[in-house]
Amino acid sequence: MSEPLSKIPNGTRYYSGREARLRRSVEQVVMSVFDGWSYEEITTPTVDYYSLFEHGMGRLQAHRAFRFTDADGRMLALRPDVTSGVARAAVTIFAERERPLRLCYAAPVFRQHPQSHVEWRRESTQTGCELLGANTSVADMEVLAIASEILRKLGLGDDYQITLNDVGVFKGIAALQEFDEGSRDELRRLVDSRNAADIERFLARHAFPPEGRAALSQLTRLSGKRETLGSARLVMADAGSKAALDRLDRLWSMIESLDLADRFEIDLGDVAKLDYYTGLTFNIYVNGAAARVGNGGRYDGLTAAFGKAEPAVGFVLDLDALTTVLLALEADSRLPQESERRASIIANSDPSLLFCEAGKKRAEGERVVIEL
Amino acid sequence: MQKLTIAIAKGRLQTEALDLLARAGLSVSSEMLSSRRLAVEDESGQYRFIFVKPGDVPIYVEHGVADCGVVGRDVLMESEADVLQPLTLGIGKCRMVVAAPLDTSVNGDRTLRVATKYPRVTATHFGARGQSVEIIQLSGSVEVAPLLGLADCIVDLVETGRTLRENGLRVVEVIAESTARLVVNRAGYQLKAEAVAHLIDSLGVITDQGERT
Repeated sequence: MSEPLSKIPNGTRYYSGREARLRRSVEQVVMSVFDGWSYEEITTPTVDYYSLFEHGMGRLQAHRAFRFTDADGRMLALRPDVTSGVARAAVTIFAERERPLRLCYAAPVFRQHPQSHVEWRRESTQTGCELLGANTSVADMEVLAIASEILRKLGLGDDYQITLNDVGVFKGIAALQEFDEGSRDELRRLVDSRNAADIERFLARHAFPPEGRAALSQLTRLSGKRETLGSARLVMADAGSKAALDRLDRLWSMIESLDLADRFEIDLGDVAKLDYYTGLTFNIYVNGAAARVGNGGRYDGLTAAFGKAEPAVGFVLDLDALTTVLLALEADSRLPQESERRASIIANSDPSLLFCEAGKKRAEGERVVIEL
Repeated sequence: MQKLTIAIAKGRLQTEALDLLARAGLSVSSEMLSSRRLAVEDESGQYRFIFVKPGDVPIYVEHGVADCGVVGRDVLMESEADVLQPLTLGIGKCRMVVAAPLDTSVNGDRTLRVATKYPRVTATHFGARGQSVEIIQLSGSVEVAPLLGLADCIVDLVETGRTLRENGLRVVEVIAESTARLVVNRAGYQLKAEAVAHLIDSLGVITDQGERT
């Protein structure tokens, strides 16, 4: 039995009308903010080598891509993320460029296997930026300030929350004990789902030094503003965690001085999935969306696989999720409705006069509909 | 504080969950409960409760329709939902087990036929040891499957073990202990941080898991 041709694949959809226009204008707002901070647009190939993403995202995440083989037998993938390609471009075609290097993009990404029930889309549009060649807290602050500005410009100034963490905290504690990769990821998942009860069970099964035990059982509860860092210092003694807490402290001072402390939160239990992060990590939440609408962080090791190690920090926003939120807000009329641009109707039985008249109106910038 | 919606698993857990919540200061009047409304509010007006099938609790929470939920660990293991699990609630204690007829061995090199309502848990459990299994997914009365010759063994939830004994089954292996969990939507945890923290603290105190810092 053949499938009806009217069907579209799971996880894909059409955009049209108001929603398509809104989505386009969200993209324009985001890209204009990037441009305002001197980020240069880059487009990476839609079809690329699978090995790129395996290096860039880690095996588990890359596995979610649509994969197929090239004529020579090499494995290809539909781009499941943009960051990997941008990182490769930075150390290859932009190798000679002055640093810091600022790049941005807006492009669809494809994932054959959705990550969760909520992220049902298999094609979604990501927009983001990468700042390469700078490893200071000021560089971290730059991308956070850009993310804040974008959300403000989208009219979400009172509706967003960015949660900060530094992978150094979890990595530092986990390094107190030698684990195989599987156990380490299990522990990471338990912390990330704030699953205090199963962390205790995990600790009961594994040898772990007492100072690490105390820190781990606190980790899921350490969230809040600056005072969180103080509480964390009481239970964390290893050098890695301490350095991470100092980095967060420096960042928080800048956030406070920019008067953004209301919109930010520290959450040491928020341990990112991607292995490639080396410092700051953050998630962006917006009222009206059940999952994060963006995330980012520092990944100083990623470009090494492509030839040269360089510090880098960046983030990505899910353009489709933002569009959905804004569309719902607009329906609640919290945003001014876009006034439909009126079109002049042009009618003439003589086709040459018809197009002549329409052309004139167009030259004046008017919107036209010709009567057929 | 922002209002929170809490999804509660209907059936086995429901009464125990409401008792526990009442002890934490979230009480629902008996008129409300008997009103058969889709959603009921607690007396403070701070919380709204919805009652859904256990398997649907993680789905409501993951989609943010409910900010929090009360559901068994067994359901969470099967659903693989991306939700936070900040508290065990100590109610609805039971075990997820492999059970087989007294005369059946579940070891060996043959493919086992396993009847269950928990296909993912079953696949993960046997997959980890390289045992090949044919999973037969049922929606109820799993314990009769070996008796009727549909399966060699079952993976199911056991409270007292009486049903197993009545059907001539014995527990071969405990896969996991399960109690009810408080689950929280990831975005809600951040965006309604104050209200969620308050709920976790109230429940944490009565379940002996202390206060958050």
